[in-house]
Amino acid sequence: MTEHEQTGLADDASAETATEGGTNDNRQPDRGTPIRAETVDAALDALHGEGMAGYSYAYLDEHTKREVRRATLKAIAIPGHQVPYASRPMPLARGWGTGGIQVSLSVLGPDDTFKVIDQGTDGSVNAANIRRLAEETANVSTTTDTTEADVIQTRHRIPEEVLCDDQLLVLQVPVTDPLRKVDPSDAANRKRHAHRNYGKMWVHLYENVVEWGEINIGASYPTMVAGRYLMSPSPIPRWDTPKLDDADHLSIFAAGREARIYAVPPNTRVKPLAFEDRQFTVERFPDRACHLCGSEDTFLVELSETRDGSDGRFETCYVCNDTSFCEKRHSDPDRPKDHHLDREGVDWGPGTPDVPRTTADDAASERGESG
Amino acid sequence: MRPLGFDPVADTRRTFRALLRVMSRPGTVERVPRPADRAVIATLVDHEITVSTDDERLAETLADQGRLASAPPREADVVHVLAHDRFDVRECKRGTLVEPATGATVVYRVEDVRAEPGGEASPALTTARLCGPGVDGETTLSVSVSPEALRALGEVQSSYPRGVDAIFAAPDRLGAIPRSTTLELASNTTTPEAI
Repeated sequence: MTEHEQTGLADDASAETATEGGTNDNRQPDRGTPIRAETVDAALDALHGEGMAGYSYAYLDEHTKREVRRATLKAIAIPGHQVPYASRPMPLARGWGTGGIQVSLSVLGPDDTFKVIDQGTDGSVNAANIRRLAEETANVSTTTDTTEADVIQTRHRIPEEVLCDDQLLVLQVPVTDPLRKVDPSDAANRKRHAHRNYGKMWVHLYENVVEWGEINIGASYPTMVAGRYLMSPSPIPRWDTPKLDDADHLSIFAAGREARIYAVPPNTRVKPLAFEDRQFTVERFPDRACHLCGSEDTFLVELSETRDGSDGRFETCYVCNDTSFCEKRHSDPDRPKDHHLDREGVDWGPGTPDVPRTTADDAASERGESG
Repeated sequence: MRPLGFDPVADTRRTFRALLRVMSRPGTVERVPRPADRAVIATLVDHEITVSTDDERLAETLADQGRLASAPPREADVVHVLAHDRFDVRECKRGTLVEPATGATVVYRVEDVRAEPGGEASPALTTARLCGPGVDGETTLSVSVSPEALRALGEVQSSYPRGVDAIFAAPDRLGAIPRSTTLELASNTTTPEAI
């Protein structure tokens, strides 16, 4: 399919609408551009070639890249602070990773290897499309292996395998401000950030404890960065939040819809908010293991599906959320999360107590020891 | 940026990657296309922000592309420093508490910048001890600027999160001290014992 043919078809389609369209009711739905091909792969191959000519390298124009790059550098210089930037329309709807795409594409170069995950999987439609956009326009190689990637764009997970010094993690963020759930006013919240006034969030956490006995925030756990800014680590599970603390890699958080970028540099203190007697806890999967690879030390998700012999009844099972690492564990069940590093015993992921302190005695003895 | 010898896409991307690295890991030094200070300006500056520079060739090239919005050093978003003795970083914009990111980015054109401490071999270097986000414990950065210049920078950073982000551009490499970094002059780079 050449560019010329595409244009021709587009013209036909608009002519059709113009002649038919006396009233809105008669308008035919746009059926898209037909491609004659046997398979989906053949159809995608047909789109290669001249079609990409005329696009800027890495899709974004240089003016956009400069805007994103300036904001990214400021975000790194002020860890946890949300830097506003001029977010551009992307070839998918805002809220589907447009911020992440803008950061990834302004970073990527031809020597890079790019990985995209969506809730831990490389295979989702959104992840596959973002990966293909970068592959086509920025000429990068792509991978699903965490250890091989230079840049990893992710939605709502941090990979199970330890990230290294030379890797960059780009997280997609839907809601940038952790204070929004306690006060919808952005102006008021920016003032609170300016003065490090997070009292309202503490009250919210306290109310949580009163109601539930522990802090029951699922994802986007409010987190202090370098002792200065309260940050939403994006909707990663609590399980992943400790991975940001004193990490080896640089994390950049980007929100296209809200037009904000923020960052956590390597070797930066990142502390989830918690009380002395109600500690931060990660998700717990007691007596569960991945039913594909048998892992017990990974973040598991619940699946409910019918299987052979279950007579159409739904059965619940647990699987690793990180599919790429699950595959590796499948062939080598003992593979540690830091198998690719020189060092051993790297503290990655839940290094925090996984049992909540519930008794007042415990809390009292804790205070006694520290005091 | 072709008149300055840069590829507008590939070279600015390379420079940005170096900037990402030196900003997120203060104390590291990265190679970039020559001359480094012009590469940094070419990567970051356009008409959306203001710039102050005495480099006429650079200003002309930016103006030719419609990318130049000049401002005096105390108002500019990006300050390009050539004459160090006439420059006081304390006069630069530091942003506000609500919008600290509006603080200036200061690009110093320097002879030399190194990760290791200076010593008898390089008496022109002033060494700063750095700690803060991006630094594992403590590290050093040695730059060929006067101790007063680094002391002034330290003073500016003390109003964190208001402050400036300093980039030191030697001809072919970069180092940086972002505002989140606490810096202290190393006791003396050229101690009497060393001499």
